Amino acid sequence: MRVRTHRTVSPWLFLLPGLAITLAFNLYPFLSTAYKAFTDARTLTAGSWVGLENFRQLLSDELFWVALRNSLLYVALVVPFTVLLPLLLALLVEQRIPGVAFFRSAFYTPVVASVVVVGLIWSWMLDDRGLVNSLLVTLGADRVNFLGDQWLLLFSAMALTVWKGLGYYMIIYLAALGNVPRELHEAAAVDGAGPVRRFVSVTVPAVRSTMVLVGALSSVAAFKVFSEVYLLAGPDGGPAGADTTLVMLVQRVGTGLGGRVGYASAISLVIFAIALALMLLVLRADRKEDAP
Amino acid sequence: MPSARPARRAAALAVVPAALSLLLTACGPGVGGPATSAEGPVEGDITFQTWNLRAEFKDYFETLIDEFESRHPDVRVEWADQPAENYADKLSADAGSGSLPDVINVSPDLAYPLADAGVIMNMDAERATAKYRPEYTKEAWDGYEMPGLGGTYAFPWYLNTGPLFYNKALLEDAGLDPEKPPRDYDALFRYAERIAERSEGRIPTLAATPTIENFGRYGVRLMNEDATEFTYNEPAGVELLTRYKKLYEQGGLDAQALTNTPEKAGQKFLKQRVAMNPGSALDLANFRNNAPSLYENLGITKAPNNTGRPNMYLMGLAVSDQSEHKPAAIAFAHFVTNKRNQEKFGHQTAVFPSTRGSLDKDYWSEDDGTAAGRVRVNSAQSLDGAVNYQPVVMNDEMETILRNEIAKALQGDKSPKQALDDAVAESNKLLRKH
Repeated sequence: MRVRTHRTVSPWLFLLPGLAITLAFNLYPFLSTAYKAFTDARTLTAGSWVGLENFRQLLSDELFWVALRNSLLYVALVVPFTVLLPLLLALLVEQRIPGVAFFRSAFYTPVVASVVVVGLIWSWMLDDRGLVNSLLVTLGADRVNFLGDQWLLLFSAMALTVWKGLGYYMIIYLAALGNVPRELHEAAAVDGAGPVRRFVSVTVPAVRSTMVLVGALSSVAAFKVFSEVYLLAGPDGGPAGADTTLVMLVQRVGTGLGGRVGYASAISLVIFAIALALMLLVLRADRKEDAP
Repeated sequence: MPSARPARRAAALAVVPAALSLLLTACGPGVGGPATSAEGPVEGDITFQTWNLRAEFKDYFETLIDEFESRHPDVRVEWADQPAENYADKLSADAGSGSLPDVINVSPDLAYPLADAGVIMNMDAERATAKYRPEYTKEAWDGYEMPGLGGTYAFPWYLNTGPLFYNKALLEDAGLDPEKPPRDYDALFRYAERIAERSEGRIPTLAATPTIENFGRYGVRLMNEDATEFTYNEPAGVELLTRYKKLYEQGGLDAQALTNTPEKAGQKFLKQRVAMNPGSALDLANFRNNAPSLYENLGITKAPNNTGRPNMYLMGLAVSDQSEHKPAAIAFAHFVTNKRNQEKFGHQTAVFPSTRGSLDKDYWSEDDGTAAGRVRVNSAQSLDGAVNYQPVVMNDEMETILRNEIAKALQGDKSPKQALDDAVAESNKLLRKH
């Protein structure tokens, strides 16, 4: 009897710490957000049930559509780079050549650096009198208003995201490349395949599942981008808020003493739904390619 | 060869909840306890929260607290200081969880939502607090009067009024007399046009787009009488924005003005890349230490004004309505803001007391010949008849709406009139929902 109780209770005891944290910090906030999305709650008032009013309001909110466009653009333009560039970097630093350890560390450094610090450094570099513009002027070109133009700002933030994430995804690829049998490369080389052919026919298929993983992780990270755009474009999200992303919009409308918590929750639910759809899309693409 | 598919799918699926869990957060309003009586013995433990003051004034506040505790042996004051950033979020978290400190440092715009939610005391409604009203200047007491809520919601504390700093060398380069800075907006736009023209667009005069305070100083009526609707889209407002648009096109406004934060604008002035910037006396030490060549050429004047009534920045001390030791909290808030202690604090740094008669004292009326003395006397004089232009009902979101519409007008996406009409319509919509 005691043994049976022990067997029933023990797994739950092991589970308890993780379960408690998940319930308190994931499930409860999720349910609370989902409920508030249908209320007119504010920071200091609980609000009352308003049904779909917040979602109706979203449809006519010009800034919401701007933010949605920017967040989707971020995914569309950042993810291909964060999937492919780290793989190429990993292939480079995988080589056994003198000094390669230095490059591995150098490529990983931006990952451990604070995003605020690197964001500030980038904003100084891209300033109209910053390093980049000084170089352009030295080369005889005109100054470029990186931090004043809506699109240049967004692309600069994307470049920062890609640059900062390279090292992290490179490490994931390095682990995956370590598992690719060397014989496959040797056999392909014997059959006359050059480096490009070996990359396409051996390396890519061997790390494809890792590419899906990186794609999924970077899609969600890109979709919920906040810091890079906030630091380069400022708290208003660029000129006239044209670079606002969805998470920035949540922060803007939902925080502060007059924050519209209900409306911000509705935007959060939309983010959740789109991120879920993105994730399922990536997994579905992976499954299709696996199918015989 | 066995398929790796299930393992891969499991690994990929494991990513889904982990990644999605990062996406959702929540916060919620709490419920405060019942209000306690403002009358009674001064006793109990109270908490006192200031806003970014510990770093420079630790000794001042510790001495003040010691003195209060020695006068009231049954009271213990616990002092907490919050950093400058995200103070509103800290207050909303405290108010939401029903754990507001007993005595809270607030500006009028932060006091409004707290007063509206009924979590801070109406000083006019209680005899224990209303009796102190005559000690403060009328403008300061009125500064904490909340429209539609029938009363003043904090003891006024220190005041400030920002001077306009200008770079004398850049004015001279443009052939302008550095001893005659612009006094009103006509002169400001004239100077800016001249500086841009002479520097071939290299030196803008200003680095930031206009704020609601600029509209106020320009003479625009910002709200209707009962503060239920914004009115800054009236012809004077459209005129101001039209002039800023022209300035932007002429190069008199920094090319990055649409995205510059006040900090970035300050840095540009520090690097002598813009000719003028509003600031406070606290900036002087920064100029002296980090830009000695600017400090040598520094001009200080009153912010341009068309109304004759300068802007006044106000700070006050509110008392939590849920305080368990309200008499002690009221006594301490009054002690910190009484005439003697306000004047003492005004000697510590470049702020000004809000108590009646304080600014007539020599310290604030006699120029001692130093740069700090000049700013102090200049600012103190400005406070005569000064008002707080920032409408207390205008929250961060409404300010962002105004900034964004101004940016659209400056970029040429909308006419200045359309931009201000849209900003007012959107802000009024938020105000009505409130």
